[in-house]
Amino acid sequence: MRIDIDNLKVAYGETVAIDSLSLRLDTGKIYGLLGRNGAGKTSLLSVLAGFRRHSGGTVLADDSPIFENWLTTREISLIRDAGETVNLGTVEDALYFAEDVRPRWDAAYAQELIDLFKLDRKKNVKSMSKGQRSAVGVVVGLASRAPLTMFDESYLGMDAPSRQAFYDALLADFMAHPRTIILSTHLIEEVSSLFEEVVIIDKGRLVVHSPADELLAMGSAVTGPAEQVEEFTRDLTVLGSKQLGPTRSVMVYGPLDHAEARKAGLETGPIAMQELFIHLTGGPAS
Amino acid sequence: MFDDRSPIYRQIADRIKAEVLSGALKGDEQVMSTNQYAAFFRINPATAQKAFQQLVDEGVLYKKRGIGMFVSPAARDTLRAERREGFFTDVVDPMVAEAKAIGIPLDDVIKRIRDSR
Amino acid sequence: MRFPSRLLAANIWFALFAWLAYLVVITLVTVGIGVWGELNESVWEKAVQLTRWYALFVGVALVTEFLPLFIAHGQSRRQFGFQAAVTIAIFAPFLSALLVISFLLESLLYGLTGWTWALGQAHLFSAPTQVPMIFLEYTVMFVGWLVAGVFVSSAFYRWQGGGLLAIVPAVAIVLFVQATIGDKTPLPFISLRIGFDVADSALSAVLAAVGAFVVGLGLTWLIIRDVPLRNKVS
Repeated sequence: MRIDIDNLKVAYGETVAIDSLSLRLDTGKIYGLLGRNGAGKTSLLSVLAGFRRHSGGTVLADDSPIFENWLTTREISLIRDAGETVNLGTVEDALYFAEDVRPRWDAAYAQELIDLFKLDRKKNVKSMSKGQRSAVGVVVGLASRAPLTMFDESYLGMDAPSRQAFYDALLADFMAHPRTIILSTHLIEEVSSLFEEVVIIDKGRLVVHSPADELLAMGSAVTGPAEQVEEFTRDLTVLGSKQLGPTRSVMVYGPLDHAEARKAGLETGPIAMQELFIHLTGGPAS
Repeated sequence: MFDDRSPIYRQIADRIKAEVLSGALKGDEQVMSTNQYAAFFRINPATAQKAFQQLVDEGVLYKKRGIGMFVSPAARDTLRAERREGFFTDVVDPMVAEAKAIGIPLDDVIKRIRDSR
Repeated sequence: MRFPSRLLAANIWFALFAWLAYLVVITLVTVGIGVWGELNESVWEKAVQLTRWYALFVGVALVTEFLPLFIAHGQSRRQFGFQAAVTIAIFAPFLSALLVISFLLESLLYGLTGWTWALGQAHLFSAPTQVPMIFLEYTVMFVGWLVAGVFVSSAFYRWQGGGLLAIVPAVAIVLFVQATIGDKTPLPFISLRIGFDVADSALSAVLAAVGAFVVGLGLTWLIIRDVPLRNKVS
């Protein structure tokens, strides 16, 4: 499903959660949506899923409006931590409901996932542990096969092995049934290799939208004797720096001539996506 | 799985090249699909696709429509020639520099190389 | 779409079992009073009190349980509103039918034992065998209470504490509906005559029920037509 967002604004009374945000998401890609707490991730996803009406601008899914447009929203799935997609009696009840309203529901696949996450079909969802409830959400989100599938940190309650199982399942199912997937997460290093493109928002505004590898290629760490490093990075966009004795390491953003740096006796290396994210959204928390 | 020092797709490309060089992958042999690589390394298939594209551009692999990717018959020789070109600058020079830095006489290095024949 | 029938079926199924259990309890109470005390009134007339609170609860649950679920699964608010209306329109007469059966069974019991059956207050019916009027009276009652539940919980869902204000119109709806079926003081523990003084008649009862249905659900629709899904489930 293709998403066209133009000049989007989402406000809660006086508080503006999203402002003048324009973004285009293509069919059949996995997107990583990154932002700090309160950056507006949940607001953005809620608008995309028709959970709330936006305050200004336009949002189109395959050229159709989303809010209160049933034919479009039934093709959109957003799984949140709040668990509103699954809070209904037992796991079985939740699956029945999803099956009824989701046109592309795959019951056999849902059962596979239930087995994978070792869930009890007869158990009441509300009485489950946070991790299990998250897993039920994941099952519903994946088995719906919605052309736009979004997970808003909904899988963060799961333990590490279950999360790994989720990433594998997501990837395998994405390859078998390509669709637009948006993952919003705090565990950036864990999932960044799944992203084809990355969207970073901060304080309700778009900071970066770029293919994941291009974003990674934009960041480099230049390490060497402090003076040479200073000299070399003077005209570059410096994200941050660290010093250890006489050695200085500076993180720069933008194209970098690695050969030139090596010639100057400096080491260059990549920066992890998490580091880039931190520095692109205002630096480490003070 | 990855060392984080270079883009994932380059690491995949390097791995395939290494397999071709060692003879684990032979000429005209089919390599695993991008999806299999993506699942194995838990990466986006587009990233794996990029690694394959790079190898196609370099002539290491060739594409058969609807079937998959195969190792070019000449891939091994090409790669060996390439590596030979860079061998002294990429491998020997750093080794000599290291030996000097830590005080190993070059004669000892040469002796070791002779002995290992 | 199969689901509305499921929503309804689940509610009906549960109500059926709850009613069976309630029937046993009320019958035991009746027999108890008849044996050890003096029984000269219908016990089911009093037992109806609890059933309408149950209806209110079902109305509340329709919104708190199913509205978020509908929207989260890509259904529209309009669809939910329609399903809720259909559910109320079918569930109210169903509950009423259970009460009709209760009164018939009670009448059978009183007939066998020779206890005196009488009503404590005004109703559209005067004997336990007047099935159509009993059915009408309680259908009207359940419509009022279900609608009130849906309306109040919609307001709470949207405005949290601000939903308190919705209790006023909801109480008005309930009082008005109750007034048309003979009950001028429908709230327990309130003996003041705060109800509406409306002539009891089948016609005014039907009109009141239709009015409550249209006005109550109309107001509900104004509340939910663009309600955002809450970010946290409490």
